[in-house]
Amino acid sequence: MAMGMGILSVLTLGFYRFWMKTRLRRYYWSSIKPGGHPLEYVGDPLEKLLGFFIAVVILAFYIGIVNLILMFVSFSLFDGNTAAYIASFVGVIPLWFYARYRARRYVLARTRWRGIRFGVDPGAWGYAWRALVYWALALGSGTLLWPLMTHRLEKFRIDRTWYGDRQLHQGGSARDLVKGMVPIWLTLIVIGLVVGNAYNLEDVEAALGTLLLAVPVLAISWGWYSVRSFRVLAATKTAGTIGFRSAARAPRVIGIYLFGYGLASILTGIAAIAASLLFAALLFASNDAQFSLDDLDNLSAPGLALQAVGFAIYFLVFVIWAALRHILVTLPIWRHYAETLEITGAQSLLGIQQRDRDEHREAEGFAEALDLGAAI
Amino acid sequence: MIWPVSTPPEEPPQVFCDLFDGRSAAIRRVSVRVDGAAETLVLALPEGETLNWPLSSLRTVPDQADETRLVVTTTTRALARLEVADKGLVESIRKGARALKSKPPVRGRARVFGWAGAAVASVFVIVFVLVPVMADQLARVLPPAGEEALGTATLEQIQTALSEDFVPLDFCTSQDGDAAMDLMLERIGGKALDLPYPITVSVLDHPMVNAFALPGGQVVFFRGMLDTADNPDEIAAVLAHEIGHVAARDPTRIALRSAGSLGVLGLLFGDFAGGAVVLFLVEQMIQADYSREAEAAADAYGIALLQAADVDPGALGDLFQKLLDEFGDATGIAAHFMSHPALGDRIETARAAGEGMARTRQVIPDADWAALKAICD
Repeated sequence: MAMGMGILSVLTLGFYRFWMKTRLRRYYWSSIKPGGHPLEYVGDPLEKLLGFFIAVVILAFYIGIVNLILMFVSFSLFDGNTAAYIASFVGVIPLWFYARYRARRYVLARTRWRGIRFGVDPGAWGYAWRALVYWALALGSGTLLWPLMTHRLEKFRIDRTWYGDRQLHQGGSARDLVKGMVPIWLTLIVIGLVVGNAYNLEDVEAALGTLLLAVPVLAISWGWYSVRSFRVLAATKTAGTIGFRSAARAPRVIGIYLFGYGLASILTGIAAIAASLLFAALLFASNDAQFSLDDLDNLSAPGLALQAVGFAIYFLVFVIWAALRHILVTLPIWRHYAETLEITGAQSLLGIQQRDRDEHREAEGFAEALDLGAAI
Repeated sequence: MIWPVSTPPEEPPQVFCDLFDGRSAAIRRVSVRVDGAAETLVLALPEGETLNWPLSSLRTVPDQADETRLVVTTTTRALARLEVADKGLVESIRKGARALKSKPPVRGRARVFGWAGAAVASVFVIVFVLVPVMADQLARVLPPAGEEALGTATLEQIQTALSEDFVPLDFCTSQDGDAAMDLMLERIGGKALDLPYPITVSVLDHPMVNAFALPGGQVVFFRGMLDTADNPDEIAAVLAHEIGHVAARDPTRIALRSAGSLGVLGLLFGDFAGGAVVLFLVEQMIQADYSREAEAAADAYGIALLQAADVDPGALGDLFQKLLDEFGDATGIAAHFMSHPALGDRIETARAAGEGMARTRQVIPDADWAALKAICD
């Protein structure tokens, strides 16, 4: 399914992606069955397309005019474009958080379970400035306040989320997440000590080597933190008397990522090599050349048809990669999180009533236009 | 008479499904059967009430991960969901309900097209009207130091984009060659101009037959241009023409313009600040699609410079003609000049300006010309 739609997306210059996303989401949502009843995604591709256009109108103005002015100011005052790039990047950050919140609101408004809609209260700008402040705090404190950011932002999102007429609530406190940061902090301290020491000894190789080794360690500790905080945050979420309990396991999640991406890379690599060999064979054949390195000079530039074949092969490799990623990474990760999530106090679901439809005209257009790379 | 034994119609075993009415999250276990004669799906609620959903009104929720089950809804109650797990019932619903897979009518198509039009129009207006107008205004007030920085940044991008490996494209330089270029610049008066920054000339090691001007007084030749020219006057004529662009601040305008259009195009093609866009910028700078007026003004400026230096401006015409003959109409500088329909007129103008001159001399001596031609060796 992912393969076929990926090909269609390429053929339609990317415009099919709105239909593709909708169908993929329907599939993913239906594969999650809390209490045996599947979630349902009822988003409409046309409204996504519409949202994309609305976002393009607004962003084209922002990017075109604002970037031009930034460029001008930067060159007149600072004699360089670095300031413009920084300002332009910083200017997009609040928009990015804004878009994330809006996209989440749209997706949940189009999600149903047991026939009842989810919903999120408006609050994208409030979220954007809070996110900016907490990110600044988290980075400014050398990641010491990172758990505070995680908890507060999750609380902002969850407290505005509804299932039918039942409001969700995020309890707990940032302190519960501190333990999860310990591996990251330990890694950072070790890096700091070793690199500082190497710097004193002017041993550049040791410093670089440590940094190189530290990247996978940091990635793994990061995975550990995110799975653990997912568990902790789930345990303190409530919707009336309904509670949640997650038994997601960090080693499993990290394993799926490593194995999934590893296998997907290998398979895509094989496909890419096979495709390039095929292309080379066609190229040699079209020139009536011997298939050997000595004949390389006799090759002429590929004709139009062959160029088209080349492009097709090139895009096919990306499509294969995307499809493999769905099968080997995204779906297993979702499955693990869904399988290990338990809902308690479900009898109080009986009293939950339907909520009104949230029209949400821009859909997730901003997120689309800014290419926020959510998996689906 | 024997009465036939009447067999009561066989009651199919009762099949229970979960029904969600779309009003509350409560599950209702309903007994469901297909009534073939009445063409309805009969749902018997636990409270004793029965619902009759016409088979033609049934729809499934598409793209289900579990293909053995059906999630059924009806057009008469779009929010209701019936989860059917029983194999026999799934089969008979699939058989009886003809429109099971038909899609709901598309709503709001006009609105989508409206916004699509608005999106295209706004991008068009921004890229082709707003950004150029603002760029022209801003180019006038950009301080010289800013212009020079803009030129340096753009040149670096061009060097990177044109390189075939990962090493930026090299400048050609040699002691005698640089001295020859310097002499040429001095001879045509390029050093005594009333400009806020000095003209600097450099040669990039690339076979393209082209030359272009950058913001901040930089004029860049490609090696291919030096290789193609038969005498130094032709190079001097191109140099004078590019100085004309510098004096009019044309490159600054183009650079600011593409800085604005850049992000917009990236946005549309889903390649936010990506590589393809930088290539576009480079293309813009090199092929520098100046307006016909700007080209004519640069020609006039260049001809005046050459005339004042007793160099034959007809060389510019000779060079254009040669490029036209050699490359046809679609490569390098030929394409650049061909995009302006009045090319023939421009050749004529340049040659006419030369014919009126009483006394001309070659811009630099043959020995210097040889050194310049060999600058990349």
